[in-house]
Amino acid sequence: MSEIFGTLFVYLAYPFVRYALVVGVLIALCSSLLGVTLVLKRFSFIGDGLSHVAFGAMAIAAVLNVSNEMLLVLPITVICAVLLLRTGQNAKIKGDAAIAMISVGALAIGYLLMNLFSTSTNLSGDVCSTLFGSTSILTLTKAEVWLCAVLSVLVVAMFVFFYNKIFSVTFDESFARATGMNAGAYNLIIAVIIAVIIVLAMNLVGSLLISALIIFPALSAMRVFKSFRAVTICSATLSVVCALLGMLISVLAGTPVGSTIVAADMAAFGIFYLIGLGGTK
Amino acid sequence: MKKHIITATACIILLASCGGDIGSGSGANRIDVDLTRLSSTMVYSEVYNMVSTPEDYIGKVIRMDGNLNIYPSEETNKIYYACIIADATACCQQGIEFEWEGEHTPSDYPEENTLITVVGTFDSYNEDDMTYYHLRDAKMSY
Repeated sequence: MSEIFGTLFVYLAYPFVRYALVVGVLIALCSSLLGVTLVLKRFSFIGDGLSHVAFGAMAIAAVLNVSNEMLLVLPITVICAVLLLRTGQNAKIKGDAAIAMISVGALAIGYLLMNLFSTSTNLSGDVCSTLFGSTSILTLTKAEVWLCAVLSVLVVAMFVFFYNKIFSVTFDESFARATGMNAGAYNLIIAVIIAVIIVLAMNLVGSLLISALIIFPALSAMRVFKSFRAVTICSATLSVVCALLGMLISVLAGTPVGSTIVAADMAAFGIFYLIGLGGTK
Repeated sequence: MKKHIITATACIILLASCGGDIGSGSGANRIDVDLTRLSSTMVYSEVYNMVSTPEDYIGKVIRMDGNLNIYPSEETNKIYYACIIADATACCQQGIEFEWEGEHTPSDYPEENTLITVVGTFDSYNEDDMTYYHLRDAKMSY
């Protein structure tokens, strides 16, 4: 055990490991906060759809040789998030079908563009890295770390300041509208926050595993706690712990970062499920 | 709850600015960056950093193990040798070119993809108006 801790301290001396831990924790915190809202609004799969949109946008950015991909990926993802959440009620193509359509469409277009126009010598590596995160979180530059930190702080601040409104819109949007609340505006805020989280989380777990980061902590917390506040706090704590644990196991054992974090989330869900079963008896 | 979330976020950001780089060793057999002691995820990330910010590693003695890759170039009429490592998902590879110390013919090298250990000084060189990076005066064992 002391050998493991010794190795861990050696690894923690590397700046990129510290950056990864900080960014990973921030992303886990942000994603879990919104995860509760998304699960309750039955939008669990929106993270998957938007992450595929982000993948498509990254492919466009790569083809256009945009130096800072975030400048293109973030606006496109935000626009798609707004479209998906706003048109859910009245659109001809309803919520789940619209998400599925945009999801696979963006994924296909992204891969097609990368195949046709990419100048990279390692196309499969680029695709794999984007889809599964690979070691992206361990290869962040200082500027990317600061960008992630600033965006994470904004997300947390928005969630904290609009907590009561998000709570109302999440549980009963019709009632919120009836009381004079501008539910559309708050749905828009939720959409923007979701898009920012998705773009950030692509570095941590890749675009295929983002949904797990959003829904597992929320679902685990819901097995044990029943109030919105308790579920949110538990979900945030659990998500941060699993992300930290996943990243530490990954650097120590040499496993892929994204899938190790998701495996930790799954194990936590199993434990909370059993605790929940015990509590109901 | 608001106070707790804001405090936690502030602590996390402060953590990023703590600590420093690993110190260099000293003596004739010093190794500044020993990649053989790191896990595969760590090795890939460190080599990525060496390739993306090479100026931070110039003059440092690097020890790494990986697979030998051989690149014959028709343009320069030279053969380049590199030590390649893959990431944990095995979809991405990073490598560093090395120059085996002493005089060697291609037949002295092991077969391609042989697992090798290389120790050399990270340095830059210019070729065709381009700057490249390699491990010079490298000792190779396999």
